Amino acid sequence: MMDAATIHDRFRERGFIVDEAFATALQIMLALEKPLLIEGPAGVGKTESAKVLAEVLGTDVIRLQCYEGLDAMAALYEWNYPRQMLHARLSEAEGSSLEEREAYMFSDKFLLKRPLLDAITRDRSPVLLIDEVDRADEAFEAFLLEVLAEWQVTIPELGTIRARHTPHVILTSNRTRELSDALRRRCLFVWLPYPSLRQEIEILHARVPGLSDRLAQQIAQVMEALRSLPLQKAPGVAESLDWALALISLHREHLDAPTLERTLGCVLKVHEDRGVMQAHHAALDPILGDVPANPESGGYRLDTDFGIGSVSAPRR
Amino acid sequence: MYPFASLPENLAAFCEALRQEHGFRIGPGELQDAARVLDVVDLANERAIRHALRPILAGTLDDVAVFDAAFTRFFFPAPAGVPQDQLPSTRREPGTDPDGRETDATHARHAPSSGADADEATGLSGGPMTPIESTGDALEEAAIFAPSNYSALDANASDAPELPRIEQAWCDAARVFVRRLHLGVSRRWRPASRGRRFDLRRTLRAGLQTGGEALSARWLRRPRHAPRIVLLVDGSRSMSAYAQTALTVAVALASATLRVEVFTFSTRLQRVTVDVRRAAVGELRRLDRLHHAWAGGTAIGACLRDFLRRFGERMVGRDTVVMIASDGLDVGVPDMLRDAMRELHRRSAGVVWLNPLLETEGYEPTAVGMSAALPYVTTFTSINDQAGLARLSRLVHLRR
Repeated sequence: MMDAATIHDRFRERGFIVDEAFATALQIMLALEKPLLIEGPAGVGKTESAKVLAEVLGTDVIRLQCYEGLDAMAALYEWNYPRQMLHARLSEAEGSSLEEREAYMFSDKFLLKRPLLDAITRDRSPVLLIDEVDRADEAFEAFLLEVLAEWQVTIPELGTIRARHTPHVILTSNRTRELSDALRRRCLFVWLPYPSLRQEIEILHARVPGLSDRLAQQIAQVMEALRSLPLQKAPGVAESLDWALALISLHREHLDAPTLERTLGCVLKVHEDRGVMQAHHAALDPILGDVPANPESGGYRLDTDFGIGSVSAPRR
Repeated sequence: MYPFASLPENLAAFCEALRQEHGFRIGPGELQDAARVLDVVDLANERAIRHALRPILAGTLDDVAVFDAAFTRFFFPAPAGVPQDQLPSTRREPGTDPDGRETDATHARHAPSSGADADEATGLSGGPMTPIESTGDALEEAAIFAPSNYSALDANASDAPELPRIEQAWCDAARVFVRRLHLGVSRRWRPASRGRRFDLRRTLRAGLQTGGEALSARWLRRPRHAPRIVLLVDGSRSMSAYAQTALTVAVALASATLRVEVFTFSTRLQRVTVDVRRAAVGELRRLDRLHHAWAGGTAIGACLRDFLRRFGERMVGRDTVVMIASDGLDVGVPDMLRDAMRELHRRSAGVVWLNPLLETEGYEPTAVGMSAALPYVTTFTSINDQAGLARLSRLVHLRR
């Protein structure tokens, strides 16, 4: 049994920084064997957390990506009909009895396991990630409830298959629609917010080796400032990581206004948001302000930039 | 120290308090889980207990927002630093701290039909996980919005509108309207007697009845998209004559489909979906407690922006028809209305503006607010009877 501090450390080893609340939620999810519903803004690492959890537990992650029109067949199982038909035609000449042939045709060999069935027939509990459950329609949600409650699947030809090991279930939702109360009641609920400034710096260091302290600090500060603006699409952690990589590949050691302007595409994904940012320039200036804006300051310049900011040791 | 001697009793009392004061949905199952989880975590660590109980007891973001304050008030009723010698009373007047401070988060939960209201305070600040900051943010939020509370034409509590009991003809018209809203077909395949795609699985299965020979073919077809509808009713004084009609339309739509959300606005926005749904099944409802969302001045731009910020993500998508019933006489900044309308237009399948002034001879939509909004309106019309509603579906041109 892992406690929250262990989970925090194990996740950290794998470059994923969890706060205390989220670590505790993961801990009790494992302890109570209940599904965990994670909601939060886009790009804060909801999906990633499931993958890291699987790594920590040393199991596989089985992902069911929800989309509009997803139905029970695509989530559970399907018989491989073309193969069955082919087999029936080819084995007509064989002398085997009808029962034998039938039993063979409806055996595991012709069963296409989809994620949910796959998850309950594994030898050890996998992490079952049901991603973006809000994208599936209400009918599918009802079906999902049934599976999550019973952990058994009935296939008419084979009988009922019970879970040998209950999977660790993580559901994620982006809140594009309200989930039903029934689904919420089956799950533990945790809201994953944007990381705090300190956490974000930690995440940047953990995920982007070779990033200078000063740049990490600046990126996190700009992100925090941007997220407080009324943007249509606020940048998530994924955006800050992309941006950090972009800045490193451009050999920038600090952030200034022209660099921000040039690499803005990593951060703001809607054209109107550019306007919003320019209107609120005052919020960003102090962060960029300590370095005089120099449009030609490309690359790594020893004479001006051999300060504390450019000395960094790759972490992890 | 605590109301009861044993841990399970205290836990049960805490759950009861959450249920009573904040409308949490906690059943025996949750209570049992909460008791089990106390075995798992370190009982000496208060933060660990908070973090462990929160995922179990708080089921929505709204719940998360008020959980920490409720936890503190129940288990640590006295101000910090003072010995905890007072018993926490489980039946306290909601909304006040022991030290007399009004807790904003609690208050928000007791506002009428605040089902999803509390979330913007936390959703944007990102602080629901940190117990102390979250109340601070909520207070700040309230302070920011305070000016818009007061309008020159303030609301009068006495003239709360009554939701009309609707006639069958309205229901039929609404049903026709919803059915005719064409949003294209869904990506799903459904079994159907006639369809576009051959269903091999069902055909073979049906073949069992005919001795293994697949004689009767089965088909799949794509069902039509059911549209979502958001109706925003302007309840300001200038609309008083028409607002009743708009509410009738709302109730009729709610009787025809479950995928409808209704809001009223004047100087503030208020969600009234729950009341409207109740009215649609024949219950007599009066929309009291609308406060600034009825019979005041008009701040369409601010209210639409508020709507987008709080509900837009969940309620406006490519399958949503946004209907606004308003005369467009806005007292706010036209830029704000223009931006909100552009955003609505961009994110929805279509924006229908129902303007009662269109009935007036010689009306031209030249008012500042209306002309700012007009470029983003897909259908600009007015309806005042059942036939009008049924006819409206032909006028609505949806993107798809």
